[in-house]
Amino acid sequence: MSKAGEYLLEIKDVCKYFPGVVALDHVSLSIPYGVVYGIVGENGAGKSTLMKILSGVYTKDEGTVIFDGETIERTTPIQALRRGLSIIYQEFNLVNTMTVGENIFLGRFKETHGMKGTHARARELLDSIDSKIDTHAVVGDLSASEMQMVEISKALSFDSKLIIMDEPSSSLTQEELSKLGNIIRSLRQRGISIIYISHKLDEIFEYCDIVTIMRDGRVIDTKPVAQLSRGEMIAKMVGRTIENEYPPRTDNVGEALLEVKHLNTWKLRDVSFTLHRGEILGLVGLVGSGRSEIVRAIYGADHADSKEIRIGGQEIRVKQPWDAKKAGFALVPEDRKREGLILPFSVESNISMASLEDLTHKGVIDKGKERQSAQRQIQALGVKTPSASTKVLNLSGGNQQKCIIGRWLEREPRILIMDEPTRGIDVGAKYEIYLLMNKIVEAGGAIIMISSELPEVLNMSHRVLTVCDGRITGEFDPRACSAADIMDKAIG
Amino acid sequence: MKNIWKTLTRQKAVFAILALLVIMGAAELFTHTTFYTLYNWLDMLRSAAVLEIVAMGVSVAVLCGGCDLSVGGTLCIGGILAVMTVNAGLPIWLAFAAAMAAGALIGAVNGFLIVHQRTEPFIITLGMGMLLKGIAQQLTDAHPLTCKSLEFMTISNQKYFGSVPSLVVFMLVIVALFYLLMRFTSFGRNCYAIGGNYEVAKYSGIAVVPIKWSAFVISGVTASLAGVLLASRMNTGSSVYGDNTGMLVNCGCVIGGTSFAGGVGGIPQSFLGVFVMQLFTNCMNQIGISSYYQQLFQGVLIVTVIGLDCYGRMLKREHRDRESRLAARMGS
Amino acid sequence: MKKEPSRIVKFIQDNLVLCALIVLAIVTAAVQPKFLSAANLTNIMRQLWPLPFIALGMTFVIIGGFIDLSVVGIISLSAVITAISIDTFGQVGAMALGILSGMAMGYLNGVILTNFGAMTQAEVLFITYGMSSIYMAIGLMATNAETIRITRSTRSISLFNALGNGTLGIVPIVLIVFVVILVLMHLFHTKTLAGRGITLMGGNKNAARLCGFNIKRTMRLVYTLSGLMSALGAISLVSRVTTANATCGTGYETNAILCVVVGGTSLKGGKGSVIRTMIGVVLITLLGNCMNMLGLSTYMQTVMRGAVLVVAIWLDNRKQL
Repeated sequence: MSKAGEYLLEIKDVCKYFPGVVALDHVSLSIPYGVVYGIVGENGAGKSTLMKILSGVYTKDEGTVIFDGETIERTTPIQALRRGLSIIYQEFNLVNTMTVGENIFLGRFKETHGMKGTHARARELLDSIDSKIDTHAVVGDLSASEMQMVEISKALSFDSKLIIMDEPSSSLTQEELSKLGNIIRSLRQRGISIIYISHKLDEIFEYCDIVTIMRDGRVIDTKPVAQLSRGEMIAKMVGRTIENEYPPRTDNVGEALLEVKHLNTWKLRDVSFTLHRGEILGLVGLVGSGRSEIVRAIYGADHADSKEIRIGGQEIRVKQPWDAKKAGFALVPEDRKREGLILPFSVESNISMASLEDLTHKGVIDKGKERQSAQRQIQALGVKTPSASTKVLNLSGGNQQKCIIGRWLEREPRILIMDEPTRGIDVGAKYEIYLLMNKIVEAGGAIIMISSELPEVLNMSHRVLTVCDGRITGEFDPRACSAADIMDKAIG
Repeated sequence: MKNIWKTLTRQKAVFAILALLVIMGAAELFTHTTFYTLYNWLDMLRSAAVLEIVAMGVSVAVLCGGCDLSVGGTLCIGGILAVMTVNAGLPIWLAFAAAMAAGALIGAVNGFLIVHQRTEPFIITLGMGMLLKGIAQQLTDAHPLTCKSLEFMTISNQKYFGSVPSLVVFMLVIVALFYLLMRFTSFGRNCYAIGGNYEVAKYSGIAVVPIKWSAFVISGVTASLAGVLLASRMNTGSSVYGDNTGMLVNCGCVIGGTSFAGGVGGIPQSFLGVFVMQLFTNCMNQIGISSYYQQLFQGVLIVTVIGLDCYGRMLKREHRDRESRLAARMGS
Repeated sequence: MKKEPSRIVKFIQDNLVLCALIVLAIVTAAVQPKFLSAANLTNIMRQLWPLPFIALGMTFVIIGGFIDLSVVGIISLSAVITAISIDTFGQVGAMALGILSGMAMGYLNGVILTNFGAMTQAEVLFITYGMSSIYMAIGLMATNAETIRITRSTRSISLFNALGNGTLGIVPIVLIVFVVILVLMHLFHTKTLAGRGITLMGGNKNAARLCGFNIKRTMRLVYTLSGLMSALGAISLVSRVTTANATCGTGYETNAILCVVVGGTSLKGGKGSVIRTMIGVVLITLLGNCMNMLGLSTYMQTVMRGAVLVVAIWLDNRKQL
């Protein structure tokens, strides 16, 4: 507090480029001592990238970072920690197989005078934040909020001056949340600054002193919280609508095609909805809200405790993906590289993967037909590839995604499920994918689309469902409501 | 019910030992066996000693999230080198030094390939085992190499405290040392961290590569040390020892609860796991089951225990699907 | 014209071990003219079996992204079953029984692995090792650890003799049988849906599953194939040496893996072919023969094989980095 008036952390014009994407575009922030500083923004706004640069996981491409009067060029996670800058990630950075005490002093066993010293000091730290967790408990057995306490203790053990909390509330109950609030306030009183990243605006208003709104890798606005209203904040988060970024909406929504009732898994609570012929249905929710789990459970990729699926009024049983495929489903998965493509294989065999049964006569694959079908999709979708035998590995993200879509188009699916269809794809390729989606629904198919990009959902879908905590919390007509309304329900 | 299942899967070895004790107690009612005698237990420990010593080093590698199947070959080479050194008229300490240096070298090569070059430890150490076996055969011309020194022979064949075989004493000392190493030193705790979560360990400033590398060196050294003791016990160095050692020891570790997933288990668990296999054999001998059935049961034991290990992980995978995908996204 | 040399360089980089062995064979042939003599080559062809069969089965397992150590047990037990049942069922019946038992053992492996949810190579490695010792133990019980000589059988063993020693012209009959099977397996792998399923499973299990492939069924298929090939190998072995015992399969698992890896099939799965494996088999056999010719001991051959295996795995791994 002695340096009051100066800033604890100053970030000036920091840029970070990923192949094809500008993740951070001249970001500047100044964080004083002893404040709770909120950062809000949609998924992909650049918050996490910024934090990873601060913690040393990524290196910045341009700009300067000054922490506590010291200019930081390159840093590693452990150096950042020792300087007094801790991050508590959304996915906890703990070794699940070790005890609480050991995790707090991970890698610093020598400094703590053996096991007894470790546990004794861990106890002190936990007591200082009023936590009653046993330091001998194994971290894997703790609840999410307890793990968070361990992370906070770990941060305190480094005498941190700045603690960054990335979505700290995403897995907490209301009661645990109020406890976290108390801890945050007590940390601030000790002179520790906190960067609080969250989607949940209520928390931002409750805890934070200053808030910065980010969008598309840029800082949109920075203001004391008291000078902002909830509505303003949402408007700034959602921001731009560039009209011709999206093709015009199709208009041939027909009768009910798919009915899902009482879908229950370990994550989902009684999800029911209907999908119509010729419709694009958008599912909106935060990461971890259960939106992907819904479609994966319908498709049979994940185990469901109970579900009832009707297509055209007829009940069908889907236990495994091949049942779903037979029933006319198709899935474009969220994680293109892990679940969608076989990267070292050719474009041709990646496209033909799903339709091989149709190309097979008495168990023998018709190579000619396979090549034709691959060529057909490459041409129809405009996949930019030197040849059909090029490895998918060497294509751009957009073209890879087209391969997956083409794979399913070959089967003419009735219901196409697209999980984050345009993630990591440049604008031009996005437009082409939107056109494809329109073509599918015009032909009488139906699409369930999951997306983190709200404008995309608003402009493409005919109906939007919001998902929060494994439940469907609202239904909207995107033509008749604003992004803010939808965001409000999705945030819960 | 869930808790019972959890404890059962975590402490398989303890349950197996208790079950065997009960079974042998029941067998005692029908026939007279020598199972419950001090002599039998000391004998069991002595037979288990070599495997146990090997298992200590392997446990370190397994706890780091690796695995070492080449220990069988290292064991042969250690024994052969020791006997050759002694037969050349050199002092016994040099025999130990030569064998352990060879073990360290083998471990270092394994470590280079696994930690530095990131090859799959299971496959590469399997190949390494084959290579070492060949070297052992080449060194001895595939004949057992008899040791001419009486002094060397006495090392593993004497008794301390009246009736305790020296091998048992060595084993207990080594087990105790490893227990202290893994439990109370920063090296040991860092091994657990590396096996538990490699990335987190790295970001916490732990020197992951040198530590994991040295884990394989330790595994090589203990295996060659065990080889010397075995050679002393048999008074020969031979390339036929340790044919199944690699597999048995690694399986023993898993039976005890030291999981291949890394970071779970420990020295006592591995000790018990390997001991269970010895106890199992002894029980079957006592009841008079033929060696063929023993091999059969051993196979069934391995399949069941490793299978349950997999099954537990599969259940975890299904329930933690979301977490793992999130983690994957973070990594990419 | 400029691109041509780079392609050759790339091929050599991708198949370093393969090229090294070819060079070795050429050098040996130059140094030791006996190497290329008809007598030597015929001898090689006779001594080759049963490795090609085992390696063929192993290829499918490895392309599928797994590994199979149970071939030791399967070879031993099906050899024993074949040899024992000649007296009761005649030679055709015995062969059929041997093959069926091999397939049954392989299928059992598949069932056990899928039901335990073993999905990584490490898990599979240990479970198949356990299965192997179970099969061997059954063989030991059945034979009481004695060697069975099929020449002592009361029934005709003409088929075995033909497989073991018979030639058609100068070509051994067993080679003809093998080539037929090889071609069938190659067609199966490259042309059929099930064969493609194996490759896709090896490439990316998750992606294949989401595209509607039944991974568990494919896994069972792969292990059944490995069992079938091991049984065929066992029969060729029994025919050649006219004896069978419960440990006769020892050592073939590492040799088979060696051949597969040297051929260029990736241990990570998804890449490779049975033809490549055959090149591997030929080269490994030639390597052994070369070393014989050069007067090296059989133990040195084991050393060399081990070294080749380690280096091949290492290089295979580097390629993917």
